[in-house]
Amino acid sequence: MIRYILGRLASIALTFTVVSIIVFLMMHAVPGGPFDGNDMPVNDAVKAKLNASLGLDQPLYVQYFKYMWGVLHFDFGVPFQSPGETVLQLLGRAWPPSLILGGAGVLIGAPLGILLGMAAALRRNTWIDYLASAFATLGLTIPVFVISMALIMVFAVWLNWLPASGWGKPRSWILPIIAYAAIPMATYARYTRSAMLDVLTKPFVTVLRAKGLSERRIIFQHVLRNAALPMVTVFLPMFIGTATGSIFVEAMFRVPGLGAYFVSSIELRDYSLEMALILMITMMFCVAYLISDIIYALLNPRIRFGDRK
Amino acid sequence: MTLLNIENLTVSFPQHDGVVQAVRGVSLRVSPGESIGIVGESGSGKSVTCMAALRLLREPPSRIVADRLELGGVDMLRAGRTQLAAVRGRIAAMVFQDPMTAFDPVFTIGHQIVETIRAHRDLSKSAATTEAAALLARVEIKTPDAILNSYPHQLSGGMLQRAMIAMALSCRPQILFADEPTTALDVTIQAQILHLIKQLQAELGMALIMVTHDLGVVAETVDRVVVMYGGRVMETAPVQDIFDAPLHPYTQALMASMPGRTPGKQRLIEIAGASPNPANPPTGCPFHPRCAVADAQCAAEAPAFRALSESRAAACWRLA
Repeated sequence: MIRYILGRLASIALTFTVVSIIVFLMMHAVPGGPFDGNDMPVNDAVKAKLNASLGLDQPLYVQYFKYMWGVLHFDFGVPFQSPGETVLQLLGRAWPPSLILGGAGVLIGAPLGILLGMAAALRRNTWIDYLASAFATLGLTIPVFVISMALIMVFAVWLNWLPASGWGKPRSWILPIIAYAAIPMATYARYTRSAMLDVLTKPFVTVLRAKGLSERRIIFQHVLRNAALPMVTVFLPMFIGTATGSIFVEAMFRVPGLGAYFVSSIELRDYSLEMALILMITMMFCVAYLISDIIYALLNPRIRFGDRK
Repeated sequence: MTLLNIENLTVSFPQHDGVVQAVRGVSLRVSPGESIGIVGESGSGKSVTCMAALRLLREPPSRIVADRLELGGVDMLRAGRTQLAAVRGRIAAMVFQDPMTAFDPVFTIGHQIVETIRAHRDLSKSAATTEAAALLARVEIKTPDAILNSYPHQLSGGMLQRAMIAMALSCRPQILFADEPTTALDVTIQAQILHLIKQLQAELGMALIMVTHDLGVVAETVDRVVVMYGGRVMETAPVQDIFDAPLHPYTQALMASMPGRTPGKQRLIEIAGASPNPANPPTGCPFHPRCAVADAQCAAEAPAFRALSESRAAACWRLA
């Protein structure tokens, strides 16, 4: 197990390096620089001075190594679009709203989706199954900005129960959290349904019935435990995917979160921030997959003990 | 007293294009301690009959109809979930064909035997574990404690089938259904497992239903044979009579096709034709298209299953 984890850590380091190189090259392959915008043109001499002050006049490989050296010391540079703070300070300010929304969205959406998927699998080919599956498909196919708009229309405009946007009071968190929860709920409902149906048709379930176990014990102890195996591997990565912000939900509800910076850092050639955001997501996904795989191994004796027949 | 009493059992599976009748009017009585072999080719309805007796088929899609379906005095057709669970494992236990897929892969063998014991008997976890180890020793497993703590994937098929038998016997059932218990095993292991089942049956005094397509298996393990074909019972007789003097043309053809009954190298004898299509079975006797002595009556009407002597019965117009 320890050897396995060490091996995985080495491969994470490799992934991280490869991603950083590719992203760095792609970022600089895009024409233009941070001071080439048309709305506030600067003359060439000023531009050269600004570029030199940020080290952008140096060869690419020097820039890359300088940046990565900083990253190793948790220095992600200064965001060009907001030079009064460091990248880390910007993340510390913009991430909590996204983290709260994404975290609450997954923590509410995933259990709901699991219940929905279980109900669908256990009542296969009945109206419960059709309703749950339709609900899940709608959650995945209706764009999140349409869901957001519908929520705003109903709960803010017509019923006037909740604020339409903003971030100040926890009351205004409710609608964006619901909007955020739609995708985890739908994804989990579909995963749970297919994982449960897969297990329910296994021969050992018939054996469990033939032993005279109660249906409740069969479902909750045996079927769920087996169905959970493929599900644990999607939970954490989905959490990361959601908790790093949604451009659409945050824009619809005017949440000062991380989502908008993904777009602006690319548009404004904000190299430091762009690199920091992508490296952060890469690292979080790597760690999430590592933890998921360890949990999977702990739950699955076939991996935990290997095959020693 | 009759332990298992099946009268006129029909099991059907609706398909997109009609209904498949897997079992068509089977009757079967088993007394305590009796051992019965159900033989037949694939699709003859032998496994489905056993699964239906324990109500283990998914309903729907399957549909079970019978004049009578009683197991240990319980009306299995009217029994609710709780009552069914009380019969299964306790009155009637089942050993399945493929031991490799019969255990839940994420729990130890010990866990799965202990939960079976505790589902039916009021025992503490530690008492049930001691009992499970004793059961494993009884099925001739040399290191019961090691096996208790093993996961299914760590054991061989033969070992798993022994554990499966131990689990089936853990609540002292009055009848054991063994559905092709040796088909998935190596030939060398098959004889050991059969011997074990036979021996335990005698020791515990329980009834045994051995489902198999292997005539050698029934010869070694059972007292009475039920021959099935196309979802119907063709003939039933004491095991010796089936081998020495088969009456039904199908049984006769089956015996003739058994290799190695006479010494020397010979061409294998087969029954001409193919098994009936369960979605579109032949009219009349299901065997008539392949039968050497069939006539117009056989094609028109299915023969009733009737007694020919005290111990023998068959369904054939030629045996009237």
